[in-house]
Amino acid sequence: MSIMAYNGGACIVMVGKNCVAIASDLRFGIQQQTISNDFPKVYRINDKCFVGISGLVTDAQTLYQKLVFRHNLYKLREERDMSPRVVSNLLTNMLYEKRFGPYFTEPLICGLEGPDNTPFISGMDLIGASVATDDFLVVGTMTPAMYGVCETLYKKDMNEDDLFETISQCMLASLDRDALSGWGAIVHVITPTQVITKKLLGRQD
Amino acid sequence: METLKLSALPEKDKQQPISHGRFEAYVDNGGTVLAVAGKDYCVIAGDTRMSDGGYGIQTRKYTKIFQLTKKCVLATSGMQADTIALQKRLKSMLESFEKEHGKPMSTPAIAQFLSNTLYYKRFFPYYTFNLVAGVDEQGEGWIWTYDAVGSHERVKYSSQGSGNQLVIPLLDNQVAKFNQQIVEGNKDVSCEQVVSFVKDSITSAGERDIYTGDFADIVVVDKNGVHWEKFELKLD
Amino acid sequence: MINIDFDNIEQSQPTLYDTLASDVKFLNTPHFELPPNANPGDFLRETFDHPSAPKALEFAHGTTTLAFVYGGGIIVSVDSKSTQGPYVASRSVKKVIEITPTLLGTMAGGAADCSFWERELGRRCRLYELRNKELISVAAASKILANIVYSYKGYGLSMGTMITGWDKTGPQLYYVDNDGTRLHGQRFSCGSGSTYAYGVLDTGFKWDMNDEEAYELGRRAVYHATHRDAYSGGAINVYHVQKDGWKKISSDDCFKLYQKYYNIVPINKPAN
Repeated sequence: MSIMAYNGGACIVMVGKNCVAIASDLRFGIQQQTISNDFPKVYRINDKCFVGISGLVTDAQTLYQKLVFRHNLYKLREERDMSPRVVSNLLTNMLYEKRFGPYFTEPLICGLEGPDNTPFISGMDLIGASVATDDFLVVGTMTPAMYGVCETLYKKDMNEDDLFETISQCMLASLDRDALSGWGAIVHVITPTQVITKKLLGRQD
Repeated sequence: METLKLSALPEKDKQQPISHGRFEAYVDNGGTVLAVAGKDYCVIAGDTRMSDGGYGIQTRKYTKIFQLTKKCVLATSGMQADTIALQKRLKSMLESFEKEHGKPMSTPAIAQFLSNTLYYKRFFPYYTFNLVAGVDEQGEGWIWTYDAVGSHERVKYSSQGSGNQLVIPLLDNQVAKFNQQIVEGNKDVSCEQVVSFVKDSITSAGERDIYTGDFADIVVVDKNGVHWEKFELKLD
Repeated sequence: MINIDFDNIEQSQPTLYDTLASDVKFLNTPHFELPPNANPGDFLRETFDHPSAPKALEFAHGTTTLAFVYGGGIIVSVDSKSTQGPYVASRSVKKVIEITPTLLGTMAGGAADCSFWERELGRRCRLYELRNKELISVAAASKILANIVYSYKGYGLSMGTMITGWDKTGPQLYYVDNDGTRLHGQRFSCGSGSTYAYGVLDTGFKWDMNDEEAYELGRRAVYHATHRDAYSGGAINVYHVQKDGWKKISSDDCFKLYQKYYNIVPINKPAN
């Protein structure tokens, strides 16, 4: 079994019109054994930027703590929050620093960028090769299932309600075909004025 | 005086063969097939790309769907050679059944028969992933879905092959309406709606699966027989 | 003394028709084809266990099945999920195999192995019935299966199954697996979720519980296994074996059971 699938997990980000959404499942397991069913893989960096980290949970937590530390130093020095693009570049560099002994994680970054609140999403592999797109990105243990539904259900320029419904349906549909993730999901929709957070009831098997 | 030889690898390691010839029983020629059954019909789609097991394409016009009777088709992805062997064997057996009994084999019987045929090669399996789709004696549409050694299940929709994992959750969501709290509209969808949805599904699979593309055969099975249609997918 | 003239023995050459006829007969006779080069048990592993191998043939796996004897008969309870690696191939597998109207078998391990051989077992039990004018005992039926799988030892079959029924000697429960083990017992559970199921089953078991309590115990044991084991789930099917044969009691979706057990309504609520 791959080390990336040791704990299980799934994460999707999607772009809407003036908003972005990020969703993750809630399972934390050790191979086939489910340990917890309230373990989101999405972390808030600030109100305009969230990251979702899938893969090996011990590495995800370490990476998140190091990221928060760097973000706090940045805030002290710059007296402002990091924008999503900066968070993305920072993560890329942090991952590449460990090129020959990597963190076994694949992060997704999403948020609203600059004064115009331009949606931004990016994702990267475990050694920091990043890619920014203008529609959606998926990581986790059942990426084919997530790509399959997102590719068909995604439409450009959805408002925040449609975006929530779409990312939720994509998440739930793909989780039901993945043995190593599921047990419910959490969705955050980031808009210029607020962050809407909802928990989804999902199958518990 | 002895000269010091500089060598990256010790001589004995260099002489080791990098690889030795092995009997390769299988090659995966890829491709996706999917099928959705309605009240009195079945819609089956299969792309026509045949890959060489890697990044190459051997042909863009290899039909994965095979008509077994007037009420039943077999859709197979996996290895082309095994597929042909399986189709040939089934065809011959179905012909001798029809001669002996004076009528073609019923669709549920074909489904069980395929399972046994696959299991008889349990220790040297056909590298094939099959769907049997057709209408039963009562005229109702059904799909049977198989693993390589004949474990099968009767369902209302299914998919097999390289794009299987992309298509199935979509069918769960759009055909079975899993996780949808408010299901709108009539439950009995028309054949035309299903054909159009099946085309969307296989197009989506072609977007993300490199082994799916070129063209798609769309086959409709109902009480009037088997109707074939060609549909274009991306060539990249 | 008999003299044989070796020089004048007529050599009968097979005609083309004979060859074709024997080929057709060979094809039409059910038989197992074996791989041309290797030991059948090693063939699949050797074929797919190298860097340039094609995508492995992953057979359906992953299960929780249980069966127990109590005062009112035997309860058989199973999940219905089938997985290929992390991918969930199906949530609607029938893992209780109805061998004959009086015998039940369960499915764990290779789905094709279990369903094919238990179907074959059903055929042999029916033949026994026609030849001997009486139903086969559970002991004999389970031994037929054990002998079959034992004769294929080393060929790579994978099955863990419980054979249950009610014969002249009362309710009987046997466990048979692919290496030929055949055990008679009162409580068995099989598959990746079996340890969780045993926990609930052994805690809740009472010999003299009523039928409803027994159904619920079987259901709950598998339900909690589906919750903890990633490779079990779907719906829970419960069967009851009584004197006059088996009866299907229920088929409950795990998600519905979760909502029932924990009184959770399926409406998405804000987290905070």
